Amino acid sequence: MVKFRRLSTSRWWNKRKSWILILFFLGLLIVRLSKTFIFRDAYYFITKPFWPGEYQQEILRKSINQELNIKLKQLEKDNVRLRQLLDLQNFPESNKLNSSVISRNTGSWWKKILLNKGSQNGVSPGDAVIGPGGLIGIVENTSKLTSSVQLLTAVNSKVGAWNQRANLNGLLIGVGTKNPKLIFYSKNVEIQIGDYILSSPASTLLPPNIPIGIIQSIDNESKPNTIATVQLTAKPEAIDWVQIIRMKFQ
Amino acid sequence: MKFFLTQYLSLISFLIIPLVIFWNPSWFSLMGSQAYWPIFWLLPWALINGPFKSMLLGFLLGLILDTINADLYTQIPGLMLCGFWFGKVGIVNHSNNSLIKFGLTAAIGSLICSLIYFSQMVLNLLLENSPLWLVEYGVQHIFAQVLLTGILAPVFCKWLYFLFSKKV
Repeated sequence: MVKFRRLSTSRWWNKRKSWILILFFLGLLIVRLSKTFIFRDAYYFITKPFWPGEYQQEILRKSINQELNIKLKQLEKDNVRLRQLLDLQNFPESNKLNSSVISRNTGSWWKKILLNKGSQNGVSPGDAVIGPGGLIGIVENTSKLTSSVQLLTAVNSKVGAWNQRANLNGLLIGVGTKNPKLIFYSKNVEIQIGDYILSSPASTLLPPNIPIGIIQSIDNESKPNTIATVQLTAKPEAIDWVQIIRMKFQ
Repeated sequence: MKFFLTQYLSLISFLIIPLVIFWNPSWFSLMGSQAYWPIFWLLPWALINGPFKSMLLGFLLGLILDTINADLYTQIPGLMLCGFWFGKVGIVNHSNNSLIKFGLTAAIGSLICSLIYFSQMVLNLLLENSPLWLVEYGVQHIFAQVLLTGILAPVFCKWLYFLFSKKV
């Protein structure tokens, strides 16, 4: 009588391929659960030798000086007005953190940049990110070493903005292009092409009076709102150094 | 080492995709839009491995890309559909892998993925009663992306196809 018995090597757990497959799926699960922080941190180390050098920091300093001059004039006016009306949040210099852009995704649906500072440096979601020229976006999420920034041009981006000349608050909405739309929720507002747009002093999410852009065109046909197209002053597709304003940093 | 690389080339190259997505080389751009990178890996892999395995890989690829982009919308359906279709193309016409075929297939795949993703965005805007300002940018971006993917695909896909098929 012949007895059939399965060879032990035919069992799945004795096959090398099965274990490779299991390890592969476990790896994917870890990637999924870690929200790709492993990849991001690996990318941090791989690209570290290629980060922009001192020369670009010099350019950044010059641009920041120009930006500060504009802001100073604006703040002096603002101070007089707000002393009478509001008690503004205070953001000292120690809350600002220089960071370099290590990945840029501006040419797809996702308008994002990746910075080389993360939760380890006190960065948290919601922090404002400014570059030479003004506000470029908001920190969306952070890993230990990196933080992902949603740009103002992203489709889901919504930020409170303020027209200083007309003293009007509006909502800046990203539409995918380089020029976001600014909605003023009233008709016949006295805005003009060339007006400066700053972050809104009424917003609790952003520091007030950060330059955002200049009004490029106005759509008077839209009802019941007034919609303007804004030319951003900061160019995220060309910026290598930025500053993070840590909103919750003590 | 060489044996290890040849043996696990698919796996290693699959794990490199997210790093390429982060790197996102800006010199490969047209009208400010960049090529759809995942297609360059999925197409040659699917041509060799058939529709069902490729559909699964499309799902896994989409899962990783969705996690990277942390968005409201998903790339999974587009990549699964492309994986399945690329696999079918590989079965039907496995001997004739010309450069034009790689370019055209990748361009159509990119169009499918972009349209599915874009329609999710439009649907969300419609549900929110938001204005459809995105449409103008969307059409321009899809056009540029499809064109660029089609142009670059023969180079990348042919090379990866050669490497993957060497293993088999």
